Amino acid sequence: MADDAMKTDVQLPVATDLKKPRPKKAPELPILERRNWLIHLHYIRKDYETCKAIIKEQLHETQGMCEYAVYVQALIMRLEGKIQQSLELFQSCAILNPKSSDNLKQVARSLFLLGKHKAAIEVYNEAARLNQKDWEISHNLGVCYIYTKDFRSAEEQLNLALQLNKHDLTYMMLGKIHLLQGDTEKATDVYKSAVEFSPENTELLTTLGLLYMQLGKYQKAFEHLGNALTYDPNNFKAILAAGSMMQTHGDYDVAMNKYRVAAYSVPESPPLWNNIGMCFFGKKKYVAAISCLKRANYLSPFDWKILYNLGLVHLTMQQYASAFHFLSAAVNLRPRMSELYMLLAVALTNLDDADNARRSYEQAVQLDESNLLVNLNFAVFLYNQGDKKAALLQFQEMERKVNSQVDSNINTEFDPELVEMAQKLGAALQAGENLYWSKPGKDSKTSQRSSSGKPSSSQQPLGTNQALGQAMSSAAGYSKSMQITAEPEADVSSAPSPPTVDPGEPEPEDEDEVEETAEPDKLKEKSKPKAVAE
Amino acid sequence: MSSVSQELKDTSVASSKWLDAHYDPVANLYTFSSCIALSDLHGDGENKLVVGDLGTGVCNMKLKVYRGTGLLSESTLLDLPTGMVSFLMDLHEPRTPAIAVASGPFIYVYKNLRPYFKFTLPSLEVNPLEQDVWSQAKEDMIDPMTLKEMLEGLRDKAEIPLSVRSLRFLMLEPQEMENFVLLHKEQPIRRQTVITCIGTLKKNMADEDAVSCLVIGTENGDVYILDPEAFTILYKMSLPSTPTLMDVTGQFDVEFRITVACRNGNIYILRRDSPKPKYCIELSSHPVGLVRIGKNVVVGCSHEALHGYTQKGKKLWTAYLPAPVTTMALMDLPTRGFQAVLVGLANCEVHMYRDKNLVSTIKTPDVVTSICFGRYGREDGTLIMTTKGGGLIVKILKRTAVFEDRDSAPGPPIAQSIRLNVPKKTKLYVDQTLRERENAVAMHRAFQMDLSRLRLAAARAYVKALESSLTPMSASLTEPLKMNAVVQGLGPSFKLTLNIQNTAACRPVMNLAISFLYDENLYSMKTAFFKIPLLVPGLNYPIDTFVECLSDKGISDIIKVFVLREGKSAPLLTAHINMPVSEGLALN
Repeated sequence: MADDAMKTDVQLPVATDLKKPRPKKAPELPILERRNWLIHLHYIRKDYETCKAIIKEQLHETQGMCEYAVYVQALIMRLEGKIQQSLELFQSCAILNPKSSDNLKQVARSLFLLGKHKAAIEVYNEAARLNQKDWEISHNLGVCYIYTKDFRSAEEQLNLALQLNKHDLTYMMLGKIHLLQGDTEKATDVYKSAVEFSPENTELLTTLGLLYMQLGKYQKAFEHLGNALTYDPNNFKAILAAGSMMQTHGDYDVAMNKYRVAAYSVPESPPLWNNIGMCFFGKKKYVAAISCLKRANYLSPFDWKILYNLGLVHLTMQQYASAFHFLSAAVNLRPRMSELYMLLAVALTNLDDADNARRSYEQAVQLDESNLLVNLNFAVFLYNQGDKKAALLQFQEMERKVNSQVDSNINTEFDPELVEMAQKLGAALQAGENLYWSKPGKDSKTSQRSSSGKPSSSQQPLGTNQALGQAMSSAAGYSKSMQITAEPEADVSSAPSPPTVDPGEPEPEDEDEVEETAEPDKLKEKSKPKAVAE
Repeated sequence: MSSVSQELKDTSVASSKWLDAHYDPVANLYTFSSCIALSDLHGDGENKLVVGDLGTGVCNMKLKVYRGTGLLSESTLLDLPTGMVSFLMDLHEPRTPAIAVASGPFIYVYKNLRPYFKFTLPSLEVNPLEQDVWSQAKEDMIDPMTLKEMLEGLRDKAEIPLSVRSLRFLMLEPQEMENFVLLHKEQPIRRQTVITCIGTLKKNMADEDAVSCLVIGTENGDVYILDPEAFTILYKMSLPSTPTLMDVTGQFDVEFRITVACRNGNIYILRRDSPKPKYCIELSSHPVGLVRIGKNVVVGCSHEALHGYTQKGKKLWTAYLPAPVTTMALMDLPTRGFQAVLVGLANCEVHMYRDKNLVSTIKTPDVVTSICFGRYGREDGTLIMTTKGGGLIVKILKRTAVFEDRDSAPGPPIAQSIRLNVPKKTKLYVDQTLRERENAVAMHRAFQMDLSRLRLAAARAYVKALESSLTPMSASLTEPLKMNAVVQGLGPSFKLTLNIQNTAACRPVMNLAISFLYDENLYSMKTAFFKIPLLVPGLNYPIDTFVECLSDKGISDIIKVFVLREGKSAPLLTAHINMPVSEGLALN
């Protein structure tokens, strides 16, 4: 019905159009731009089909002379992925109106999208001559320079763009340049000012948070990540990063809540399932932990962190044969990490393969720089093997590390379990050796003893405390000692014969260890999303 | 999930806030928010809905007036309506507002729904050189071809663009030119622009029923303010780009502020006494809707965001939308002191925002393309919407409706309460775990043992292949050869093709021979030994021989091929060809 009515209507005006102008002298020529507003209106509403129909009609009427119609047609083509065609249309626009910098900008943009960065730079420079004060030109020039690896010019142009007008995108690019040049400090500064300018941009907040995390400023990192989550509770990167920090503090339930949100939006992320797995591990749900980690491993088979965690969980589960496979796979993927060799040695010890365990320990010691656990575990192993002399050497090496750490104030609080184990071993290796340890050891031990009550008490509130700002501040201090403790436990479980080890203890120790080892992994995972963001 | 439950919640809330007064899905309206107005056209205290309908987009443009649910009148428009406003142009009683419809370079003013006045935009400056050339043509001093050349020269250099006539002339074929010149030369040259947006500005009083000036924006970036009675240009301002959306506030004689969204993605704020824009807001994407609420400007952008700015251009907030914006309008209820922004979205929803808070959501049956809120009939809170499919929706705000002044978005995301899909482990898995715990050492040893065996077996096989030159590539450095063999035929005779290639970079290989070893009871070959020619590097040499199968028992065997070098007993390459069963004989 409506169609019929329209059709008859359509014919009538046409007929009158034809009749009216003829008898008169000169027909009124239609203005070329008369439908530009309608084209624009449909274009910005993303009603591209209608828009294309109107453009076609308009171009037919003006025989291709309507600059704006050609311009919008080219824009739509570019959105449809026909970049080469759009480039040609923009070039014809530039011929119709050579004085418009817009046309040149679009030509350059199409060239840029085609990967012809040098040509794009030339056209942008030409456009800049027509319009000096356009942030867009400066910004895009900067981006082109990034792709041609001319970071200095890029930085110059982007700063120029920021002077003309501040845009989040320009900040992102400028920060990216600094990161590409490895200048994290400068990048942090750029992002800081960006966040000041646009405090609700979750992408900027997340990037800044991750940068702080890289720099070890956990409190600030958490602040920014928390802000990002306030504005966008579904921000995957922020969830993963914040969740891993919560995990570091033993806040497994809160972290799991966050991960559930993330798992809904990105169900196939290997780091996410790794972190979920380690959450379960922290909650002693080992089977679930293995399930999640295996899924992570399935999704990303060459990620050594996931393999490391799988090895750890299997060690805890006393599935030494499986642990051996995961750890040896991890070692193959990442051959220069001492902790991996140490865990491998622990697995081998339990598999009664003393020769290979010893070789693995030797490799670990050789690669290690500051981890006390490696030496302590090796010493325990050697002692159990009856090689007291070598054990003593390792023990002294550990003491040397302790002293240097205490001297340089890197770490003055040691994990109580590590200290206890060291005490026992020291005693077993006789008093003379004990003396070496006892001086720093007693200090640290007393501090440990006194603090052993503290950490647990302070740790508990951290876990339950959901105002995580506090938790984060203490996190930075604890993370190191926590990592250390994790490893001694592994030792204990691996070396069943040390005289002082209680059979009942290993389990709680294991849990602690697991959590702690999980932490470094998670941190690394976090750094991964960062890389993606950059 | 989250959106679904939110929708459920919102529709139930929305249904309690609005009465569905009228819905005509086939009203056949093609229009935009700029072409809709509510106005008391007859001065009888009852507001009518006036719609500038774009018809098919080419023709059938109409000015339609609705009263209640019915069409009151409709009159034909000559061209596409760009914008439409209702305004009071004089103080005569009765105070009936006029309708101004902008289309092309004209404004048609209707009073009492009758054409009253037609305003034409002043024509633009014409290039004097162009004028010159045409006057010469008029006096027949130059022929059309010269005219064309001169105009082309002008087009490429001139500061002022050519008129439509010259441009059209340049497009013509040579034989049409003469007629065109004859037809047009008597007319004066004019260069015209078109109106892109229209608004109203109170003349000197802030009252509801004060006399208003028309404010128009044009394609070439000018803004004019027109006198309401004489339609003379009171004021002219220019912008760097073409205006698309406009909001006007203040009084012409006192102080006014015109906020204009332009086609280059910027928003300019114009004030009295400055012919240039006072402030500029640069957006990162095109503005689709512009609404002033109090002293702030709310802009809906094409990249699915809503921004709030102060009237000096400082950014206040950003809200992200679930779909592209189609249109925006102000919802103003002065009786309740309530103001909000209505945002039509491409996902068939209309969102109501107060600042950055989403106050309410209305579901619509189709994508809304225009929104108008105000007094319709005698009802103050009426919401008029037209849809992409041409429908007309009228909703009335319930008098009991209350909008909470905070974000109706839920606190934690719904996904947080969805259980994690953790893969389950079977009883078997647990049993195997226990078994591993008990027998870890034995399992590990068995595995290591088998692994060693596997490696040994692999190494042995490899050595054997190397020793007997069974690999498809020869191992010798002086004669790097590659060979493969193809057997063709059904039997009893087969064609055996050996493809031999010299893979060396540049050295040819000479003095090679091929010999076959086979069971002479089963197969026969004419020549079981022959020499092969010099092998040029890189070329593939297919060497054919024929094999006859002697057995009719349907059995087959292996034929061994050796590539030999003269004077050496060990073959360079060996291939074992598994011969197929001779089907030719078996069938017999």
